[in-house]
Amino acid sequence: MGRARAFLVVAIAFAITGATSLYGAENVWSGLVIAENVAKPQPIPPELTRIEGSLKKFFGYNQFQVIGQSQKALKTGQEDWLATSKFFGLHVDAQGETEAGYVLNLKLYKEKELLLETEAKLSKRSPLVIKGPQVGGGQLLLVLVVQ
Amino acid sequence: MKTFEEKWTAWVDGQLSGRELAEFEASLPDKAAAEAERASAQKLGKLLKRELGARTLTNEEFFSHQLRERIAQEGGEISRAPGDRRIERSTWWTIPRLLWTGTVSLAVFLACTILVMREKNPTEESQYLTQILNARVDPVVSPNATVSIFEVKQDRVTVLWTEGLQSLPADYAAK
Repeated sequence: MGRARAFLVVAIAFAITGATSLYGAENVWSGLVIAENVAKPQPIPPELTRIEGSLKKFFGYNQFQVIGQSQKALKTGQEDWLATSKFFGLHVDAQGETEAGYVLNLKLYKEKELLLETEAKLSKRSPLVIKGPQVGGGQLLLVLVVQ
Repeated sequence: MKTFEEKWTAWVDGQLSGRELAEFEASLPDKAAAEAERASAQKLGKLLKRELGARTLTNEEFFSHQLRERIAQEGGEISRAPGDRRIERSTWWTIPRLLWTGTVSLAVFLACTILVMREKNPTEESQYLTQILNARVDPVVSPNATVSIFEVKQDRVTVLWTEGLQSLPADYAAK
């Protein structure tokens, strides 16, 4: 009887902990991506596999390479982080969590120069793609995905 | 060898004859009293036969009786077991029927839930797409830049499309 009760308590504790951690551990992947048309395209990075069709169809390129990235686990929805490449920096500042997703302030820098600023409500089920400046023969894209 | 009681019963019923009858009557201590007793027993027997004998049922009573028996069997009336113990017949809510009813109710509930959710989903979809609240391009760096917003329903992707940003050399694609 005592053992059964202890087992029940432990099981409930595990269930609550599991549910809390599942609810709390949302990962946001943010990447700086160069889209290009090349003769022999490299395979798409795994983070972009889910939206490969849309990227190719919408932007018309056959290769997507990540030049900078960051993965952040959001717990409070108030975190901020930076994804950088050699010349670009994407600053993401989370400003709260709603039922549908996170409110984010995004700033794209070219070295220290602010190129673009936007505020978005990033849904947990819907990635965000921002078309940046043209870089050589390709295009800089900023991608944010809740994983 | 018959006992006296057996012979007495047979004599009262008139089943003794011949030598056996003569011997038995000779053995009686008081034949007159015995004769009186036999007459009395026969009289009682006739009376009982007449009063307690099975009464013949009329057609009407017979059918009525049969119907009542059948109703009692089918309607779950109480019947008597050999040991005179009463057994209650099952009611309509037997366990298999309860299980069936529960399963059917659950299936109906699920079907209704799925229908309601299907109708609800399209209106809620937009809420689960990423929304661009505002966007701003530095007018000094890119004076002619414009921004537009697209939603690709297929993969639920939201695209912020900028035009007229300053183009950069290929070196900027370095990691």
